[in-house]
Amino acid sequence: MKKNRSGKLSEYSQSKMRKKEALHGLLFVSPWIIGFFTFTLYPIISSFYYSLCNYNVISRPRFIGFMNYVNLFKDKVFIKACQNTLYMILIGVPLTTLIAVLVSLLLNNKKLRGTGWMRVVFFIPTLVPTVVACLLWIWVMQPDSGIVNTVLSYLHIPGPGWLSSPTWAKPAFILMMIWTCGNAVIIYLAGLQDVPETLYDAAAIDGANFWQQSLLISMPLIRPTILYNVTILIIGVFQWFAEPYIMTEGGPSNATMFYSLYLYQNAFTFFKMGFASAQAWIMLLVAMVIILVLFKVFRFNDTEI
Amino acid sequence: MGKDMKRYRLGAMIKNGIIYLFLVIFAMAFLLPFFFLLTGSFKTSSELFAVPFHWLPKHFTLENYEQVFTKIPFFRYLTNTMIIVVLNIVGALISNSLIAYGFSRLRWPGRDKVFMIVIATMILPYQVTLIPLYLMYTKIGWVGTFLPLTLPGFFGNAFFIFLMRQFLVGIPKEITESARIDGANEFVIFLKLIMPISKPALATVAIMSFMNSWKDFLGPLVFLGSDRLYTLSLAASMLRSNLNPNWELLLALGVVMVLPVMILFFVLQKYFIQGITMSGIKG
Amino acid sequence: MIRKRRNILAVVAAGAMTMSLLAGCGGQIAPVETVSVETTESNTTSKTVAMGDRQIDVEVTDIGLSGSFTYWSAFTGDSATWEQERVDAFNEAYKDLGITCEVQYVPDGAGINNGKLLSAIAGGTAPDLLITDNPTSAYQYVAEGSFMPLDEILKQIDLDVNSFYDGCKDVMYYEDQCFLIPQDTNVIMLYFRPDIAKECGLDIDNPPTTLDELDAWAEAMTVADGDNYSRLGIIPWLDSGDDAFVLPFFFGADPYDKENKKINLTSENMVSYMEWIQSYAKKYDPEKINAFSSGLGGMFSPDHPFMTGKVGMTFTGNWFTGALRAYAPDVEYTAVPVPVPEYGRAKSSTFGCNVFAIPNGTDPEKASLAALYIKFCEQGSVNDDNFCQWRSIPVIDAAFDDVTLTKEGDPMYAMEREIAASPENGIPALCSVSAELSTQFQTLRENLIYDTSLDPATELKTLEEQMQAEMDSK
Repeated sequence: MKKNRSGKLSEYSQSKMRKKEALHGLLFVSPWIIGFFTFTLYPIISSFYYSLCNYNVISRPRFIGFMNYVNLFKDKVFIKACQNTLYMILIGVPLTTLIAVLVSLLLNNKKLRGTGWMRVVFFIPTLVPTVVACLLWIWVMQPDSGIVNTVLSYLHIPGPGWLSSPTWAKPAFILMMIWTCGNAVIIYLAGLQDVPETLYDAAAIDGANFWQQSLLISMPLIRPTILYNVTILIIGVFQWFAEPYIMTEGGPSNATMFYSLYLYQNAFTFFKMGFASAQAWIMLLVAMVIILVLFKVFRFNDTEI
Repeated sequence: MGKDMKRYRLGAMIKNGIIYLFLVIFAMAFLLPFFFLLTGSFKTSSELFAVPFHWLPKHFTLENYEQVFTKIPFFRYLTNTMIIVVLNIVGALISNSLIAYGFSRLRWPGRDKVFMIVIATMILPYQVTLIPLYLMYTKIGWVGTFLPLTLPGFFGNAFFIFLMRQFLVGIPKEITESARIDGANEFVIFLKLIMPISKPALATVAIMSFMNSWKDFLGPLVFLGSDRLYTLSLAASMLRSNLNPNWELLLALGVVMVLPVMILFFVLQKYFIQGITMSGIKG
Repeated sequence: MIRKRRNILAVVAAGAMTMSLLAGCGGQIAPVETVSVETTESNTTSKTVAMGDRQIDVEVTDIGLSGSFTYWSAFTGDSATWEQERVDAFNEAYKDLGITCEVQYVPDGAGINNGKLLSAIAGGTAPDLLITDNPTSAYQYVAEGSFMPLDEILKQIDLDVNSFYDGCKDVMYYEDQCFLIPQDTNVIMLYFRPDIAKECGLDIDNPPTTLDELDAWAEAMTVADGDNYSRLGIIPWLDSGDDAFVLPFFFGADPYDKENKKINLTSENMVSYMEWIQSYAKKYDPEKINAFSSGLGGMFSPDHPFMTGKVGMTFTGNWFTGALRAYAPDVEYTAVPVPVPEYGRAKSSTFGCNVFAIPNGTDPEKASLAALYIKFCEQGSVNDDNFCQWRSIPVIDAAFDDVTLTKEGDPMYAMEREIAASPENGIPALCSVSAELSTQFQTLRENLIYDTSLDPATELKTLEEQMQAEMDSK
């Protein structure tokens, strides 16, 4: 997009006009300002206050200092939830990204005709409401009658218990995560479209095969996009809630007790609002680190102003 | 040279064939759950639970769909969902276009720094504000009403602001300059000059807002109490946790919930893709 | 195994929906069961009203008040239909007195399990009355001061709760005041498949009564299929075995000591229960029997392993008969009291109740009107089809006589009555942290099942200390 170098134009030198414009500007963004204070800033600050309290909604918050934070790191279930979340970040996110990138590289191959319908196919799972996707995947992952194990049985592979097995429940969620990677595919494809076709042709004549082309030409160009998507995925994993809530309720043996699910459980099942707020704050700190990285990588403030 | 080229072409064709095959297999795998959803919704209960799995229903039935409309208050859930969806779309269109206008076409001190804050809130996890908001709504008696799910939509959404702003900065200055010199009211300029040419961006915002509230689960789960106010998503998850989940009905309900979104997608594909591409745009 | 962490004991209370299921119970008019004692203050008359498509005789108590009250019902699905019939019947009965009940269906235990009720109480939008299927969490609410003591109101409306089962009183009273009123209750039994037992050469006329006999039956019914199992005798963590403290009760464990306010998970009985669970985990690889309980719908789907013959026995409540009738009408079954170790609680059961409660802060007049609904629902005539379909049982022994099943001489119902009468019965682990205690206990059990190298006594000790600290900090 074009740079809008409006900063130094002379017609705005008159301070009266400027004041008026500034006033209008504030007026136009005022809904956001109100919303920001009410629905973002106030909650963030009070969340921190609650995280220092013992609070069960009914009785008054009781200040207990950093006890909630201390107790969190002594809490086995919390540790387990962190481990599970980390598992998804270290295994699920790279796998999903790998597949999304691979699919987009292949779909971007201009010499391949008739891939238009495939773009749609890879995208439509993201249109399914989460709840429906969960209900569907409970069936897809059925040990006896599920589609996955049925297909595996044709290949003479005994399928695992998936959601009902502590070992296989997380891989089942990863499969589901991959299934909904359509957004990322669209974003990668958009990034890849910017790569001039002539670059590939030149490389092909130099004898570079598809993988070399992808690695040398495509990857560097979409690297920021990949980073962005990975960040979004990681934050998504922290917020991963509906799926384990509907499909496994954190079981079996807490194998699918993820960060947000445990937060929800503490807040709305056990009414430990302070404890859950402490969890939210740890999540916020982690998210902030991720945002900082994001800003470093993408430098929002250098462009488009 | 010619011979080499020919061999190269042949090799490429085989290679492309392999890639194509690979992609087709992959695409099929992605379609499998849909296949199951659709066929399952036409199966009777006993066929659904049959081991081994029946690929196609042997006893094709429409009863499940009939049950969706008779056995559960489907239209009430749909109305509730639509109330939330429509209010969110309206709120998103009004608030975000105004806010984005203020962030793009008007200059005021500190604007760009404030905009940084907008961007920063984009990545703020919902869970962080969830508990205080819940407690806040509790105090004013809003839990168990639509307000927590609709009102915040009228105060802007960071991503939509970003999206609209990206569009608005791209509109040439000249379009508004003369009007402004003529002393036209800023709001009139916004409404009469800018909004009409912003339709593509507005459409994208409307669609993404629709998707957000149509798919939302956590919000209704936390803020809606009585069955009377349930959205389709929440109702579906509650039915599943009933002692008798009535799976045939749930699958049919799933189809009914997915179908409108699919139709919308095929009609307005461009705007869907635009929104998603924008979300991945690098600054 | 996917766990449904919900109290499933009681939701099943109802459902006159599936009329065909009401074999032998349909259109009959049950006589009024009187739980009230005549006093001079209130004025009780009899009336005939429609409940669903039946006419039932009910009592109407005039306490000199009129108006409407709001009511949150935890019932969903078919049970919600039944609830609506009950509310309509109440409104018809009390029309002349100008009393109306405004019902709302609030899933997840009337908002008890998900914070909705708490939020409503704090925000001043709580209902005047509620019924929940989660007595354990309701009790936690009582301990936190969220509900109103009912003793005065009960006197005013003339509802005598003294004759209720002692086992129910566990949940009704907190520090000598009555807060929760059970509507009905359930008992847990051992269901077994006589066809499978016979096939395995077991004597079906002498079903297991001790734990050793149960183990022997389980062993005999188990069929190995190569590396896997095609049938197991019993999965001790299935159905009611999955509930936190149901089976520990049969082992004689008392997870909470009310007198001293101490959580006790380290009693010999509790440890031996866990060791018993672990012995099954060691014997049969739990990963291999995962597939037995698919998690599709618990007991109310045709793929329940008992219905498909993948298990020969299971611990479950009286409602399972209703489920079998609906989803596997051809499956033969027999129900017997749960076999127990010699130090256990024989021929008894935990109670799973649906309980009524009135939130604190409710207007006293509304509270009195709401209490009239409780009284209305305690009548045998109102509950009869609930009892018939789900074999739930009344909370008063004498009331059994009025239930159609008793009059028809149903042998299983007679056995349920016998179990219900045991003085040992009760609801375990009612305390101020009961919801979390149950969840944590279930998780601990799963950990022990999937990791048999863990030592039950040590793990239980850790949890006990953690939960005690939690409780003391309240």
